[in-house]
Amino acid sequence: MSESTITADVTIDSRGATCPGPLMDLIGKVKKVDTGTVIELQTSDRGSTTDVPEWIEKAGHELLDSVEHDDYWSLYVETR
Amino acid sequence: MSANDTQNGYAIVLASSELARVQAVSIIGSIAAMSEIPVDVFVTMDGLLPFEKETVENGDFDVGPVGARMLEAEDMDVPLFTEQMENAKEIGPMRIYACTMAMDLMGNTLDDYVDLFDEELGVSGFLQKAADKQIVFV
Repeated sequence: MSESTITADVTIDSRGATCPGPLMDLIGKVKKVDTGTVIELQTSDRGSTTDVPEWIEKAGHELLDSVEHDDYWSLYVETR
Repeated sequence: MSANDTQNGYAIVLASSELARVQAVSIIGSIAAMSEIPVDVFVTMDGLLPFEKETVENGDFDVGPVGARMLEAEDMDVPLFTEQMENAKEIGPMRIYACTMAMDLMGNTLDDYVDLFDEELGVSGFLQKAADKQIVFV
């Protein structure tokens, strides 16, 4: 288990949701917040840990960090 | 995603009632639309069956192993295609059309289906909408 020093402005708890739940939650949030907002997306879906970063890159946002906890991951995203 | 690397979007033909296929169309189409890629879904033939109000209410879907697991899984939260598509339509350019011919064959009108369809469409109408898009047949 590792910790991140990043402080998120918004946290989305998508734990328990399978693909594409976490991604849909993230996209919905990204559209509502201002540029420069740091979002922590929590997911327990293994596939989302690689798939969500693909979307983030393609959509032009920045993945700041990916932190693995005991039973979920935190993806930190800064909107661009 | 920028428009230049995604052409003009996708025209998805859904002609199967199998839940796993319907769900796959819903997932791919929803994420594309939410990423600003236009998506037209033309639901035809058996594809219309899982959209019938009665079928959705009773959860009486045509399932294979993955579809069955999807409905049973209590440890995983899998949103049904109806919920996914509804969300996607609120956020992105997704349009869903019901095939007039298949509806007529079953003696149905749009009122018999869940409230997801933008309108009913014939083959010419679909081809027109699909003309500038990549067609995906399911």
